[in-house]
Amino acid sequence: MTTTTTDRAVAQLQPIVSAGRPDARYVVGRLVIYLLLAFFSLFVLIPLAYMISTSLKVEEQLFVWPIQWIPDPIQWQNYMQAFSSLGQIAPGLTFWRILANTLVITLLAMSAELTAVTLVAYGFARFRFPGRDTLFFVMLSTMMLPGIITLIPTFLIWRNLALIDHYDPLVLGAWFGGGAWAVFLLRQFLLSIPPDMEEAAVVDGANAFQVYYMIILPLVKPALLALGVLMFQGNWNNFMGPLIYLNTTVQFPMVLALKFFEASISNEAPKWHYMMAMATVMAAPLLALYFVAQKYFIEGLTIGAVKG
Amino acid sequence: MQLSAWESYAPTLLRWLLVGGGMMAMVVGLNKGLQFIGVRRETARGLALVSPWLLGLLIWNAFPFAYSFYLSFTKYNIFQPPEWIGIQNYVEMFTKDTNFWPSLRLTLLYAALNVPLGMVGALGVALLLNRDVKAIGLWRTIYYLPAVLPAAAVALLWRWMFSPGSGLINFLFQPFYALLNVEPLQWFTEPRLVLPAFVIMGMWGVFGANAVILLAGLKNIPQHLYEAASIDGAGTMQKFRFVTIPMLSSTLFYTLVTGIIGSLQIFTQAFFIPIPRRAGTFLNVLIYQEAFSFRNMGYASALAWFLLVVILILTVLVFRSSAAWVHYEGAKG
Repeated sequence: MTTTTTDRAVAQLQPIVSAGRPDARYVVGRLVIYLLLAFFSLFVLIPLAYMISTSLKVEEQLFVWPIQWIPDPIQWQNYMQAFSSLGQIAPGLTFWRILANTLVITLLAMSAELTAVTLVAYGFARFRFPGRDTLFFVMLSTMMLPGIITLIPTFLIWRNLALIDHYDPLVLGAWFGGGAWAVFLLRQFLLSIPPDMEEAAVVDGANAFQVYYMIILPLVKPALLALGVLMFQGNWNNFMGPLIYLNTTVQFPMVLALKFFEASISNEAPKWHYMMAMATVMAAPLLALYFVAQKYFIEGLTIGAVKG
Repeated sequence: MQLSAWESYAPTLLRWLLVGGGMMAMVVGLNKGLQFIGVRRETARGLALVSPWLLGLLIWNAFPFAYSFYLSFTKYNIFQPPEWIGIQNYVEMFTKDTNFWPSLRLTLLYAALNVPLGMVGALGVALLLNRDVKAIGLWRTIYYLPAVLPAAAVALLWRWMFSPGSGLINFLFQPFYALLNVEPLQWFTEPRLVLPAFVIMGMWGVFGANAVILLAGLKNIPQHLYEAASIDGAGTMQKFRFVTIPMLSSTLFYTLVTGIIGSLQIFTQAFFIPIPRRAGTFLNVLIYQEAFSFRNMGYASALAWFLLVVILILTVLVFRSSAAWVHYEGAKG
């Protein structure tokens, strides 16, 4: 894929060269740029290709040198067998159950985070109140707090509430502000929009709720989508939370099932083809989401970094 | 006992709705209530809107923060109440714990290598992408890919790639091994090689994401600055040194700070990859093990506080140094 890009780019440069100024240095420079880009992208792509290729191999082929990039035969069954062998060590933990567990955690946490973030960012961006800037500064500094420091007391809180081994510790906290980085991002976004429309709506007699629902939400929709995909990714990938709070295997989300599977079978020869199949399954929804909504991924990533 | 899906989801769902509803009620109630007692309307609205976060700050940050500081001076195994032992945890950490120093060393070296290498690589790619490259969307998509993947999947993938007998890396390096006449490297099992292996894996995960961030920063640099520099007779290197670097410095600063904080807290990757005891382990993993495998909550809290201090010192140093090299557009024109 990358080589065709290089060829095409060079081909398009030809007319410029033949049109009068034979600037060989320019062409060579371009060529070097594309070669370097292709080289670095191989660093990115080869491991991915290796993951997928491994996930489709029969066990004997795993250790064959030179590596067979396209397995023969292609073992699609690996995907089924990986989950059925997981079901054997963790009764009741089927693929669909894992998917449902993961989605319950991800969607509940994400929707609560999005709701809370919109409210809080709106408050910080549009209303003056005593202590606002101090509070905002406090919020920014909580981003620097390592998560591990609050982890133990937080665990103790949930333990006292008798909610260990429930999903609550993973999804209820999301209602409380929804993450400082997200509030920060959304506030920056709101500040870049002039408040004219809201003021006009107020003049027309809209109440606070109407302003929020009919003006603010549509305005920040692009930013919310960007935050949404990042939050989906964050919760889908969250490992430490489920690791600490969930014990019953049947409740495990994907990432914990992966760890459980890895830990249970690593006594024998590691079944890398199964593990790569599960890793691929775990990555697939994120990759799909990324390809559909990559504009929002990149937007969310860069709002805070470039303007902040 | 086999929990059905409904049995495990329904109670949480119910409590989730209750807490969410309570939160909404609090926002509405505070808004009305504060205005009722005579608070200015704008103040009431603002306070009501940020109140979920404010409550969260108290419950999930302020209290745990203070309590873990207290716990760090106690012996606490969850089952008996915490027992005050003064600074003994810290004394043990610095003088007795044989895991501590190797782990600190590993974590710091990892950050010290991963952050600068990742930034230089990312800056290189961003500069390449910024040169009117065709199909920029495609390149950006490719480079950002690793950052989309779950850390757990990434860790397993690299464990497999580094596996000494059959992994991809040793396969690719085979000609070099043959040339130098050495044994294939035992990546994650040979203590000396744990660090390089983690750095390579870490770079794969972040350098693309940083490249995308830096590219956005580069695109933000106004073209007229380069034109002005050209008129003044600046060459490519001078433009890079006197236009690109200062104008990009706030983005570089952001990637530096997030990079340091992030790599000192590496957990998932480290948890998925067993490494020899002699090599130490990453601080976050060490803390997790002390707290949840051995139930030494007090000692784990002391370790966590130590990590906080390390992060704070480094962040303050970076912020201090930023006055010398970070240029903010529009700050004192």
